[in-house]
Amino acid sequence: MPEDSTLVSKALKGDRKAFEMIVRKYEQPLTNYLGRMTGEREAALDFTQEVFIKVYCSLGSYRPAYKFSTWLFKIASNHLIDHWRKKKLPTLSLDQPVDDNEGSLTPQVPDPGPSVARKFELAEIRQKIERALESIPAAFRELFVLRHVNEFSYEEIADIKSLPVGTVKNRVFQAKEMLRKRLEGS
Amino acid sequence: MRDCRNVEMLYLYLEGELDPAERRGLEAHLEACPACREALAERRLLHEAFTSLPPLEVPPDFALSVMDRLPEPAEAKARWLAPLVAGTGSLVVGLLGFYILTGESLSDVLVAVSRSFSSGFGRLLPLFAKLLKVASLLLNIASGFLTMLGKGLVALLSSLGTEGISLILGLGLLLSLLLFFGAKRLLSSGEKA
Repeated sequence: MPEDSTLVSKALKGDRKAFEMIVRKYEQPLTNYLGRMTGEREAALDFTQEVFIKVYCSLGSYRPAYKFSTWLFKIASNHLIDHWRKKKLPTLSLDQPVDDNEGSLTPQVPDPGPSVARKFELAEIRQKIERALESIPAAFRELFVLRHVNEFSYEEIADIKSLPVGTVKNRVFQAKEMLRKRLEGS
Repeated sequence: MRDCRNVEMLYLYLEGELDPAERRGLEAHLEACPACREALAERRLLHEAFTSLPPLEVPPDFALSVMDRLPEPAEAKARWLAPLVAGTGSLVVGLLGFYILTGESLSDVLVAVSRSFSSGFGRLLPLFAKLLKVASLLLNIASGFLTMLGKGLVALLSSLGTEGISLILGLGLLLSLLLFFGAKRLLSSGEKA
């Protein structure tokens, strides 16, 4: 498959086939991301479609100096934020302290209790993670999904979310510990 | 990892995100610390699950449904509109400049050009000739207007001299460039990520 920047350049010249190739390349990663963020597959597909239309209308503002995938996910992330704002759904700022039901996340000493991971087989753990994901704050869930579902590097996530790399690393860690605690309680 | 207070490092270790010195330090600590080994084993299984969550199903015709909903490309419009705007601006500036510098009547020049075209093709294509006559009439009107405008400008510039004329021409060219880039930017405007 041609480079993203080549496909963008062709799409800007009116080559719809080139844009279709972009859609085919990113439909799965975008749906994976938006699906985990919305918690519903159908809603995720609608969002994915809207994001691609937004991307198509904004192609002229894409600069090849930046990685296309991070630009694309930045648009997707902003689209989600706009949606939540319009719906007036509560969103959690990354600057706010985490009010976690299972207690504070700050103690980072490995607890000597029975291992959570050993309770479940891997497949079962995955199912539980999917359910637990819906219960952690969106701002943390998003960084976790970008890192472990979409496999972006911490630097790329920092670009997408306009956050310092250190903050991204710490928030992804917190998200994972929130998930672990929820699995522990399940 | 010299003590047991940094679980974050265990995750970064599993992700291969530690630099060699940090990795060696952590591995040395793990050899001596059963609690951290236990914690690492637990996080290793979780990490495996985190990084292997299944993809969500996307319908096979999804890309086609996206393509059906795409609007007409805004860029395509920009590609012919921006040069048109810039070309018109440049023509106006050029004609004014020509009039100011030579003092020739614009209407004479434009009518002569249009007539030579109409007489050349008129015998072969009468319809085309009629169209040219209409065009020449329109050009007459336009040139009359430009002449009036030019005279006004000459009267204005006569007090400024050669430097004033140069200044006006420079500003005209600058205006053309602004029109070109402004139109291009407006017509290709999209959401900035």
